[in-house]
Amino acid sequence: MQLREIRAEPRFYGHVLFRYGMALGLVVIALSLSLLLHPYVSDAFIVFFLAAVMIVGWFGRTGPGLFSVAISTLAVDYFFIVPRHAFVMEVEGIPYFFSFLLSAGCASLLASTRKQAEDKQRVHFDKLFEQSPEAIMLVDARDRVQRVNEEFSRIFGYTSNEIVDGVSLSFIVPPYLHDEALASRTRLSLGESVSMETVRMRKDGSVVQVSEIAVPVAIGGERMSYYYIFRDITENKRAAEALQRAHAELVHLSRVTTVGELVTSIAHEVNQPIAAVVTNGNAASRWLAQHPPNLDEARDALENIVRDATRAGDVIGRIRTMVQKGTAHMEPLDCNEVIRSVLNLLDAEIRRGEVRVSTDLGKLPSVIGDRVQLQQVMLNLIINAIDAMSAANRHANILSILSSSDEGFVRVQVHDTGIGITTELASRIFNPFFTTKPDGIGMGLTISRSIIESHGGRLWAVPNETGSVLSFTLPVAGESDEAN
Amino acid sequence: MKRTEPLVFVIDDDQSVRTAVKSLIRSVGLEVESFASGPEFLQYARPDVPSCLVLDVRLPGISGLDFQKELARQGIHLPVIFITAHGDIPMSVRAMKAGAVEFLTKPFRDQDLLDAIQTSLNRDRERRRQESEISELKVRFETLTTRERELLALVISGKPNKQIADVIGTSEVTVKVHRANLTRKMRAESLADLVRMAGRLNIAPKA
Repeated sequence: MQLREIRAEPRFYGHVLFRYGMALGLVVIALSLSLLLHPYVSDAFIVFFLAAVMIVGWFGRTGPGLFSVAISTLAVDYFFIVPRHAFVMEVEGIPYFFSFLLSAGCASLLASTRKQAEDKQRVHFDKLFEQSPEAIMLVDARDRVQRVNEEFSRIFGYTSNEIVDGVSLSFIVPPYLHDEALASRTRLSLGESVSMETVRMRKDGSVVQVSEIAVPVAIGGERMSYYYIFRDITENKRAAEALQRAHAELVHLSRVTTVGELVTSIAHEVNQPIAAVVTNGNAASRWLAQHPPNLDEARDALENIVRDATRAGDVIGRIRTMVQKGTAHMEPLDCNEVIRSVLNLLDAEIRRGEVRVSTDLGKLPSVIGDRVQLQQVMLNLIINAIDAMSAANRHANILSILSSSDEGFVRVQVHDTGIGITTELASRIFNPFFTTKPDGIGMGLTISRSIIESHGGRLWAVPNETGSVLSFTLPVAGESDEAN
Repeated sequence: MKRTEPLVFVIDDDQSVRTAVKSLIRSVGLEVESFASGPEFLQYARPDVPSCLVLDVRLPGISGLDFQKELARQGIHLPVIFITAHGDIPMSVRAMKAGAVEFLTKPFRDQDLLDAIQTSLNRDRERRRQESEISELKVRFETLTTRERELLALVISGKPNKQIADVIGTSEVTVKVHRANLTRKMRAESLADLVRMAGRLNIAPKA
């Protein structure tokens, strides 16, 4: 933040001539009053002059203060110390004269130093208030803005003149957050501090993410003022959101590439023997078509077919073993916890899809399963739901997730308000490489179903034109043990 | 006895595919030699017969596409047919630009491969015929005298004998004799034939 030159002296000191003039004026007034009262109360002048030098010291500072002491002393000597009306004095008048001088000097100096200390503190506080890197707003008990600092003007766009004396609620709180702001005000009025992250409105109507700390300050015991301290956290929020989005994308991407790599590798490994089978088959028919048929060559080709087809089968078997046993780590799990973790993971995608999530998660017995695999199933179902809803382009995108348990099974249902599934589609969506998405691979539901089935459960879709319903069941831990 | 039967070469690192492709090609009566890698093929002493190469794109060490370039660099002008497990369009475009006859994705239709082999062998026969014709012409050209060679450039420009005689400073009769010798030595049947031969030998007509 740029340091701004702050006034070194508060403005009420005024010009130096004014201050000396004030000194002179007050002494003259004191003299007049003293002369007026002198016939009745002989030493009343002391009170008047001391009051004058104190006032000058307080308001005019040291220089004018001492000036007033000097002219007061001269006036006292001239008018009141015998012999009167002369600047000379008798011996008995000397202590009198000096005690006046001393007390006037002390009073003036005390007043001016005290005042200066107070002013210094005030300047210090002003500097602190103005130059604080946090936006600060001071409001009174009726929510009238008393003072705001530079950072406040920078964030909210209001200059001090525009907002002071206005009601803060109507200036910076968006209408839909009035209730929240009033609730916070109630707590403040009870003497509590309130700290929250919320949204505030700028002068131009745009909104700003802020962290707001409100502190009640009692002045004079009863009258409350409130200090509001704001920090603009739009950038932090944005960074946090970007981070979360990047994370979700990474998860999504790694899921897609893992499947993609798997598919490519299966394709290559299986394609070679299949190509050999096809070619051998063709060769065999050609050997047999010769006149006379070359039976030896045909037999060789057929034997090669058997060998190559067996090899293709072996490759598939090896991959299945790897997928099924190689990575599964079975442990007792709470399905609701799996659901929540995935919803949390997909928070950014859910918000980007403008999806409202409603969950109805019943109390569930634990199931035995691989956390990562079951998370992958939930991830697939929820991403499919979000995609289906963005494809449907309806007004309200509602994703509801229900979990319940009955008869030894835990059941999870994922409803969406997307494009829905026709009866014809319902029978095909679990087929490998079947996809309705432009960039889909068509393996998500296939893999999900094989995961659920390897856990002893079922995954199915209910045909529905107004949004799809996908459900799966998993056996409850104890029950599956008995079944085994 | 010198071999004249065409010979097909197959390079694929997958033994099953190699065996199958060999069997298929032999079933139509063609001779086949197969290799597991490029270097293995290069070490083989190729007989001087019409040939073509069936080449797998994915080879250990060097890719089929790079091997195709290597062959061209070594002056081995074999027609190449690519076979690949998963070919993409840019890859096939690259191969075809470098002169491949065909780009087949496994598993391919047997007839496609056999047709491509037939096309390749025909192309190689034609290339061999042209090469041998040129070397024959070169032999004939070597038998010409300096004067006859000079005359050849003038004759194929279509100038009448009289003009040719003026250019080389001799009589029209002498030109006639030289011209008869030249035509006989080159075994040309007509002026058109002579012009074609000169074209093959890269001899430019002289104005």
